[in-house]
Amino acid sequence: MTAGATEVTGRVTLVGGGPGAADLLTLRGWRALMAADVVVADRLGPRSVLEELDPRTEVVDVGKTAGHHPVPQEEINAILVERARRGQRVVRLKGGDPFVFGRGGEEVLACRAAGVPVEVVPGVSSAVGVPELAGIPVTHRGITASFHVTSGHGGLDAAALASVRDGAATLVILMGVSMLGTIVRQSLDAGTDPATPVAIVENGSTPAQRVTRARLDEVARVAAEEGVAAPAVIVIGGVAADGVLEEARVGRLAGARG
Amino acid sequence: MSDLYPLGLRLSGRRVLVVGGGPVAARRARGLVEAGAVVRVVAPEACEELASLAAGAGGPGTGGATVELVLREYRTGDVDGVWLVHTATGDPAVDARVAADAEAARTFCVTAGDATLGTGWVPAVGRVGSGGDEVTVAVSAGRDPRRAVAVRDAVAAELQTGALPLRRVRATGSRAGRVALVGGGPGAPGLITARGRVLLAQADVVVADRLGPRMLLEELADDVLVIDVGKTSGNHPVPQDEINALLVEHALAGRDVVRLKGGDPYVLGRGGEELAACRAHGIEVEVVPGVTSAVSVPAAAGIPVTHRGVARGFSVLTGHEDTGSVPGGPDHTLVLLMGVSRLAEAAATLVTDERPAGTPVAVIEDGYGPRQRVTVGTLGTIAALAEAAGVRPPAIIVVGDVVRLSPHWTATA
Repeated sequence: MTAGATEVTGRVTLVGGGPGAADLLTLRGWRALMAADVVVADRLGPRSVLEELDPRTEVVDVGKTAGHHPVPQEEINAILVERARRGQRVVRLKGGDPFVFGRGGEEVLACRAAGVPVEVVPGVSSAVGVPELAGIPVTHRGITASFHVTSGHGGLDAAALASVRDGAATLVILMGVSMLGTIVRQSLDAGTDPATPVAIVENGSTPAQRVTRARLDEVARVAAEEGVAAPAVIVIGGVAADGVLEEARVGRLAGARG
Repeated sequence: MSDLYPLGLRLSGRRVLVVGGGPVAARRARGLVEAGAVVRVVAPEACEELASLAAGAGGPGTGGATVELVLREYRTGDVDGVWLVHTATGDPAVDARVAADAEAARTFCVTAGDATLGTGWVPAVGRVGSGGDEVTVAVSAGRDPRRAVAVRDAVAAELQTGALPLRRVRATGSRAGRVALVGGGPGAPGLITARGRVLLAQADVVVADRLGPRMLLEELADDVLVIDVGKTSGNHPVPQDEINALLVEHALAGRDVVRLKGGDPYVLGRGGEELAACRAHGIEVEVVPGVTSAVSVPAAAGIPVTHRGVARGFSVLTGHEDTGSVPGGPDHTLVLLMGVSRLAEAAATLVTDERPAGTPVAVIEDGYGPRQRVTVGTLGTIAALAEAAGVRPPAIIVVGDVVRLSPHWTATA
């Protein structure tokens, strides 16, 4: 450790913001936000909470918006380190959980390498929370006792394909809408039952939440017809069938205020 | 002695006059519309917000409320027949004239500029909840509206995070009880969601597990009924159908019930069965997702379940099931819940051609609790290491190359 590192008084807190509704933030995450000097925010997650911050708290927006590229990960890492070295309390607010495809691990390693104190506040992962709010339990007695979470970028790997083919575990795919056609083709080619239920939940936990259900061999066509778009979580397996459970808080979603 | 008498007004369908066309008048008009008032705004010119309010009045949730915009100077007769007057013209002379006319008409008047001119004050208002259960906080702080707003914000934040008591004290008649299945997170009291904490603060009955944020139970009021259905050593847990029956019984008796669960209700938490049981009796159920232990407890040991270039997926399973058929190699993270008692057998069966005996394993006991401890090894060594260390439940087992990212791994390897 260099002599300079001992001068660091700032710190970085990675906060998992949950799927989007502000009240699905944890209390610890909320407190970190309220005490922050600077909040580095993504496009997803509880954006409305940014409006409730102390007016003196600076917000650095690193999320991608339509037509704009997001800030590269290396640059985000550098922002976190640089701000903490200025002595600031930095909150990195992320959608879902920081360690579920959130690249939070890279941010932690960058801070550690720079000698910056870093803490992780876990969040409600969209992989579990989004299906849940749509009435889809990732595990359910009599259907399945395990689940498998993967990213849809680049299609399914061998482990995910084995999981969906055997029907032994619920398969949850994040960031997979643009690859849906590939995912379906891979699953069918691997020998998955074409009648396997699939549910796609868009904009989970927000008033715009929508669930689209279909059989595996029909879901790509149905999703295209319905105009299904990101952000969305795809669930494949018996728990995705219609009528396993009711939606979790339909009344509250209709009532708008989070 | 205070010269301010706090009062709530029911303005629905009643005429209210707003004098002034600027942003302050617009803000007042909006609040009045939200309360259902029939608002007339008198001003020579109106800001954009007022104009759009007048054009779009009667929007969602405003009932029969309307805003009529009258673009001219204020006239003395304007206060006739109204229940309440707000004046915010920015011109002290006009505000004073409006206040004097209102006084003569025995109508309460709020003046935005010099508050001493008027006969009413508008507090800073915060609302939590909705419908019949809404809690309204109104703050007046001397003549300092910014201070009032700061106090309001602080109180509202405490309410929104469940830190203040929100329980119904006076029974609201025959309203049916509700059940909330709340994911309490891995155990630290700060890792419950704000929504979960609010519901807990409103509960008449809390049905709690052995795991989860048990410290929160100590913050409940003395007359909240806490039913412990979790197993403790030497005692059997309450069977699931009995738990379901408890939830139904209390809700049908008109009580608000929180089923507080460790982690997330739908990650091996049998929450789905509880939801179905309640719905079968027509009971309203809200499910609040929680921070699952499957992800957060590894995080407490510095282990990300996914990491670019190390793991592009993870599986969550119980240690009780057939672990011999779980697909994937060390680049696919496995999280085993409830697996400590069968650790040796699970570790042995997880070794495959793809997943060699040298695959890293971490066992995290009592995540976020006072006994949190991390034991690391490999599929080949972990059973002996865990036994030597005296590992016991509750614990979570993580298998895969992501374990190498933990400071515990680098410290021992």
